[in-house]
Amino acid sequence: MGLRERLAGRRVLVTGLTGFMGEALLERLLSDFPDTSVVALVRPRGSHSGAARLTRMMRKPAFRGLREQYGAAGLVELVSRRVEVIEGDLASVPDLPGDIDVVVHCAGEVSFDPPIDDAFRINVGGLQELVRALRAGGACPHLVHVSTAYVAGLRSGHIAEGPLAHEVDWRVEQAFAGRAREQIEDASRAPENSERFHGAARKRFAAAGARTVSSEAERLRREWVARRLVAAGGERAQVLGWTDAYTFTKALGERWLEEHHGDLPLTVVRPSIIESALSRPFPGWIEGFKMAEPLILAYGRGELPDFPASPDAVVDIIPVDLVVNATLAAAATVPPVDQPAYYTVCSGFRNPLRFWELYEHVREYFLADPLPAPGRGAIGVPQWPFAGAAAAEARLRRSELVVGVAGRVLSQVPASQRVRGWAGQLERAQSRVAFLRRYSDVYRAYTKAELVYVDDATRVLHESMDAADQVDFGFDPRCFDWEHYLRRVHCPAVTAVLRRPRAAAVPRRLSGHLPAGSGTLAVFDLDGAVAAASVIESYLWMRLADEGVFGRVRELAGLAAALPGYARAERRDRGHLMRAVYARYAGVDPGELERLVAEVAGDVLLGRVRPAGIRRVREHRAAGHRTVLLTGALEVLTAPLAPLFDDVVAARLEVGADGLYTGRLASSPLVGDARAAFVEHHARTVGADLSVSWAYADSQSDLPLLRSVGHPVAVNPDVALHQVARGASWPIEEWAVAGGSRLVVGSRRERRVLAAAGRARVGASGAGGVR
Amino acid sequence: MRPGFVLEVDERTPPLLVHQGDGVLLERFPSGARVVYPPLPRPGIGAVEAAVDAALAAPTGSAPLVSLLRPGMRLVLVVSDGGLPAPCRRGVDVRARVLERVLSVVAAAGVDDVRLVVATGLGRRRSAAEVAALVGERVFRSFWPARLCCHDAFDEANLVEVGTSGAGEVLRVTRVVAEADLVVSVEVVRDRGVGGPAGLAAGVAGHMSLRPAHSVSAAMRDAAGWFARPAPAPDAESGVVAPAGADGPDVVDGAGGLGGGGEDAGGGRAVLGRLGAVLTGTLPVFAVTATVGGAVGPAAARFLTRREWEWSLSDQAMALGAVRGLERLGGWARRRAWGQAAPGDYAVTSVGAGEVRAVTAAAWARVDGGQRVSVDGQSDVLVVGSAPFGVHHGSGPSDPVLGTHGALGDVLGRHTGRPVVREHGAMIIYHPMAARFSQVHQPSYVDFYEEVLAESSEPATIEAKFERQYATDPWYESLYRSSLAFPGLHPFHRWYETAPARAYLGEVVVVGGDRAVCARLGLRAASTLSDALEIVSGSVGRDPSITYLHSPPRIVADVR
Repeated sequence: MGLRERLAGRRVLVTGLTGFMGEALLERLLSDFPDTSVVALVRPRGSHSGAARLTRMMRKPAFRGLREQYGAAGLVELVSRRVEVIEGDLASVPDLPGDIDVVVHCAGEVSFDPPIDDAFRINVGGLQELVRALRAGGACPHLVHVSTAYVAGLRSGHIAEGPLAHEVDWRVEQAFAGRAREQIEDASRAPENSERFHGAARKRFAAAGARTVSSEAERLRREWVARRLVAAGGERAQVLGWTDAYTFTKALGERWLEEHHGDLPLTVVRPSIIESALSRPFPGWIEGFKMAEPLILAYGRGELPDFPASPDAVVDIIPVDLVVNATLAAAATVPPVDQPAYYTVCSGFRNPLRFWELYEHVREYFLADPLPAPGRGAIGVPQWPFAGAAAAEARLRRSELVVGVAGRVLSQVPASQRVRGWAGQLERAQSRVAFLRRYSDVYRAYTKAELVYVDDATRVLHESMDAADQVDFGFDPRCFDWEHYLRRVHCPAVTAVLRRPRAAAVPRRLSGHLPAGSGTLAVFDLDGAVAAASVIESYLWMRLADEGVFGRVRELAGLAAALPGYARAERRDRGHLMRAVYARYAGVDPGELERLVAEVAGDVLLGRVRPAGIRRVREHRAAGHRTVLLTGALEVLTAPLAPLFDDVVAARLEVGADGLYTGRLASSPLVGDARAAFVEHHARTVGADLSVSWAYADSQSDLPLLRSVGHPVAVNPDVALHQVARGASWPIEEWAVAGGSRLVVGSRRERRVLAAAGRARVGASGAGGVR
Repeated sequence: MRPGFVLEVDERTPPLLVHQGDGVLLERFPSGARVVYPPLPRPGIGAVEAAVDAALAAPTGSAPLVSLLRPGMRLVLVVSDGGLPAPCRRGVDVRARVLERVLSVVAAAGVDDVRLVVATGLGRRRSAAEVAALVGERVFRSFWPARLCCHDAFDEANLVEVGTSGAGEVLRVTRVVAEADLVVSVEVVRDRGVGGPAGLAAGVAGHMSLRPAHSVSAAMRDAAGWFARPAPAPDAESGVVAPAGADGPDVVDGAGGLGGGGEDAGGGRAVLGRLGAVLTGTLPVFAVTATVGGAVGPAAARFLTRREWEWSLSDQAMALGAVRGLERLGGWARRRAWGQAAPGDYAVTSVGAGEVRAVTAAAWARVDGGQRVSVDGQSDVLVVGSAPFGVHHGSGPSDPVLGTHGALGDVLGRHTGRPVVREHGAMIIYHPMAARFSQVHQPSYVDFYEEVLAESSEPATIEAKFERQYATDPWYESLYRSSLAFPGLHPFHRWYETAPARAYLGEVVVVGGDRAVCARLGLRAASTLSDALEIVSGSVGRDPSITYLHSPPRIVADVR
């Protein structure tokens, strides 16, 4: 009897239908088993119900053949006829119909490093819940559990098909995993940890204000919790002899089933590393990236100089359609209740692929058909020396050290276009090193375990099928050769995304595309963004304008002595810096200052203004937006720019009883959080909507301001803001200062001295003068 | 005075001095090329004050100034200002010296109501320091700011209509001038065709009155005589011509007064001429006009004006030092070197006073004599340097827009009727063409370059598409009125004035120009003279006739 006939009239419950293997299984069932009905356990996601998700799934490439056969609408109709959708997930499975004949349990947590509680909840708890729900519905189906060959853990040599020999008590481990999150959450809130997170956050975002620091500290805490949960899983697994939490929990899941399947016939299918399809639904079909793809791509991009694996280790890869076929064959073969069947679906025993062969095939593939580097020809691939795990690890450590030091150095240097360029490069280097670290850690255990999975039972299962079925539904790993599979099927499929011709990225240009609107604010930070000027600079314009040469030297020397303190203040809190600088204005006459701005300093400011910034302000005005200038500079200094802005918010100095500045600010400086709070208040006052508003700023102290609006733009950002802006994909703009601008005006006395010298020269040369 | 002459380059000719923006080069020209040298500057008159007094006492075509004055009258002194003197003048400005004498006559006559207007026209307004340098410190102290001001072409409240020309153009001028009983125009003339009644009107009129003089078609009509096609009939007003650059009487204009092809009624010069006639027709004007010789740098830097083969050892050393030194200096220091370390030593060559037309005509005749050089026939290729200073530059750097205008709108038009280069010939300009503008003086230039030129370099397209927007922009207007900025349309007007050259020339190549900038300007860039000649060989052949204008000092070519 053929496989089709053996499954005809059966109702098959499939879990994990939306996963890689589930999708392939469903495709096979729909196209080749017309008389088999499917029950699908699908988790609703967001606004999509389970049925809707299934319908949407039919648009995926795997169902291309079916779509061509039935038409898109016809396929949806077929699915609704043949597939019964039950909404639910493994955390709470609703009671299942009593007429289910076979359960194929593909659902699982497949990431290698899941948090320990998630791994247990899904890979063990999910099984328990599924069996409970089956029993509650009164069904007594054949249970086909899809596990993994790697449940064998850190052993070596030949691994036979059958129950695993280990003494680990799943009850204790599951209970521990259940408590782990709570314990780690508690630990993360312990005072010493809180202090650590807060300290790190302060170090990075001190200038941005307390709210930014707190939210960063909280983010660091959550990150730490997640990391600890992952580490808890990984460490526990390795202590007990498994590679990671994934194989560990899968193994415990098997053990639980062996103990609790009761009257349900049980089959365990253990595929090795599942990769792209050999022929069904079409050669090279793959969904998402699995285990080897990121490495293949990284290698193809020339980013993987070596890998810590021994060249003669066996890499056990199996195409997904072979696993599906084996699973279907296993599902049709019901074992006795007291004798669970075990099938390992793998290639390592009968068609072994050694690591160096894999490397050679992939290398040959990329040599013959290298990846394109857009605009730069093709990418060359490295030749691996196979220097061994220790050397690769040492190299990785060196890289980590270098990027770490570079990052610390870069965070200290002042912002400039070149520094931002370096920061971008560093970020890429960091992500590359992080990638290598992750994969090196994940695979280290696998490369250590040099074992061979024996698949005799699977071979017997294959041979028990009809000759026709052996062709149609075969799963003999000897049916393909690696060169063909890797070079013609797998690598082309994996790299297809990168080869697709991409339209050149349209440069993100805001200019000329501002949507008009009346309830929109455009907030500009003056210092550093609109103008290339700082508080200290504008102070200098003022003070030096009326000083003679000696006065200038004195003033500059005094300022130079105070600068280190200012730099510290700037890092700590901009408010301190502004107070310190404005204290130097003590005793200045406000009228005199105004005169200076009108005469000279105003033009210096206009000279330091960035033309692109002015253009942007004007564009916002043209679009009907309300423009706001925020600055730590003195109000008098902003007078030349006043016509461009609806509102100017600047620092005001207190005037004493003698009519002179006291050197104290009239109100506390508007920095960090205060800017965000001000803008929110201002928006309420003028009836503007912040979610459609814009803000332009240059430093991390403006983070709260930028975060408070819908369209933040980082202008010539410092490294800290640059990182945040890239992470949040905010537009980053470079506004250049026009050439020919001077920092400090010539003082009146200097000008007079020069003029007098000129007159003297004329007089001496006898050309004559008026007086 | 040594007259100008034309040198033919042979193997004995040394490398020749070429100005390239704010740097200088010593370039070897191909054998057979012609080099046009200007006449050497005339010596100045010794006693300027005495000459002013004499001119005031015995004016041309008018009664002496003192007889025109009576106590209680409203007197306005209009000080011409087409850009700061460029290169900046060493010592006291000529105008300040003239003003001192005029004011002493005025004071002696008992006239109290005296006001001074700096006639900046559509140029940028001057800062207090610049005005002080222009009028002299003593005058500045007594009159600033209540009775001495810069003209504000956008101050609608203080612009008064004084009349309408025959062609219907309404002239509105600043109130103090319109309400004066007598206008005394104090002017320095350096070029023929600049100043006079038209220049006076252009200096004190409102922007709306001056707009019609600046358009692509007006510029094309002004240059109609260049082209082989016969020009339209000359206008009746052609006797007195006015600058096309409306910055004021000092403006050195393209073909202004030199084109010789006659005046088209729709041309920019004709428009300004009519406005000048309206002004002098309604207001009594007494002109005091000084002429100055050409000057390039300090008197000590003789290599700048001497002919290269006559250079002494010290001249050679200085020239080499200047070439190498300026190369080493950064942009800002270079401009400073030209602006402050190397002021021009002008010499006053004549002072005239009296009826404005007669005085202006005499002044033009005098400056023309100092600039005119006879040249035999047109050539295929014209090579010009670009001076580090220009009337519009003021204290700002020489930028690509003004650099283009300087070569195409100004130097090319310095002839008596026929350009030195033939129609469809090629022009090679030495200019750095870096996209650098003064933020304070040229805010509209920055945007003109970034927004307008990015779309088109065609003057007519630009005029149709962008003029309106820039003309009515409140930000430029506010910067013009409160800061030191050119009005929004200033770059447009300069660009329109390059339109005739663009139509006339087959090719324009910039030696030393930034490639991207030149592309945006619609020009081609080359790194050396030989490359430039290679580029133009497609249109003028492998062996073209080449003429190099050895300027500054300024040259007016009389092509026969």
